Amino acid sequence: MQNTLIPLQDASDEDLIQKYMDGYKEAFDVLYHRHLPKVYKRVRYVVPENDVEDVTQEIFIAALKSLSSFRGDAKFGTWLRTLTNHKVAEFYRRRTRKQEPRLAPLSDAMAQVTGGTSKSMEERIFLQRALQELPENYREVLLLRFAEDLQFNEIAELTDQNLEATKSLFRRAVTALRNHLEK
Amino acid sequence: MNQKNESIEKDNELADFADRILKGRMEPPASTSDEELLSLERTLLRLTDAFPQDPLDDAKSKQMLVRLKARMRREEEERAAQPSFWKRLFDFQANPQVGLLVAVAAIVVLAIVVLPSVQPQGSAVSGTAFSGSSIFTAVGLIAILLVFYWMSRRK
Repeated sequence: MQNTLIPLQDASDEDLIQKYMDGYKEAFDVLYHRHLPKVYKRVRYVVPENDVEDVTQEIFIAALKSLSSFRGDAKFGTWLRTLTNHKVAEFYRRRTRKQEPRLAPLSDAMAQVTGGTSKSMEERIFLQRALQELPENYREVLLLRFAEDLQFNEIAELTDQNLEATKSLFRRAVTALRNHLEK
Repeated sequence: MNQKNESIEKDNELADFADRILKGRMEPPASTSDEELLSLERTLLRLTDAFPQDPLDDAKSKQMLVRLKARMRREEEERAAQPSFWKRLFDFQANPQVGLLVAVAAIVVLAIVVLPSVQPQGSAVSGTAFSGSSIFTAVGLIAILLVFYWMSRRK
């Protein structure tokens, strides 16, 4: 009863989902604007620039389709993060099926002009390739800190580790990234 | 023990460096004299340089929502315009092979059902007479099936 009085902007994710299921379609817009920045940024770190919006759209479409199956066992943000990783993996599977290279060749960077100079695009693709080649737990800790801007103690809580172990994992991840970049 | 402390110290230093650059305090990676740590700091700087932390602006996220809704509407319309799987499967005009397959399957089933009744009746000696009515029924049913198949192809 009290939930109906809370403005949509202040409602929790779970309340928004409930409202959407009850027919308040605007609740999805609020949920979308609330989570888009993190989803978009995460996708941007691992998907070529030209495909970022497409993949982001697919994530939200998939989320919308399976909102009814969201049982609230985990936080909506965690659920959406899992969905994002799943959709990114699907994107690369599709590319492999179409026999496109797993990541855009560096020469593609020359053709892209959005978001920076061709040199910075080339560097971005180079880093995306290195990130994609990292073991999942290394990539995840880097994305949580850089793409989602979570603090180390938040990452520790999220991954069920202590702070010391999280920082150690972070250093090993950066070392692995550096080694990939030096290859 | 000392080595472990040193390792923890390096973990903390690198984590602090990451915190500083993410807060926008970009500084040259000279916070340490350790070569190893220095190269890791350079890697982090490369990462933040390639992916600037500028937030997604309001106008762009609104445009993205508009495009998302347009895509969802388009996909919904395409789905609605598409006939159902069964309708497509039994569209004999589009899939004559399926029609033929259905007809053959029906004939086989019919033959299996009807065959016992066209076996020689009575003892082996008493004859080879077939039940005339069973044969007529089978032929009639096959004819009806063929007519249905022919009509569905003509539509």
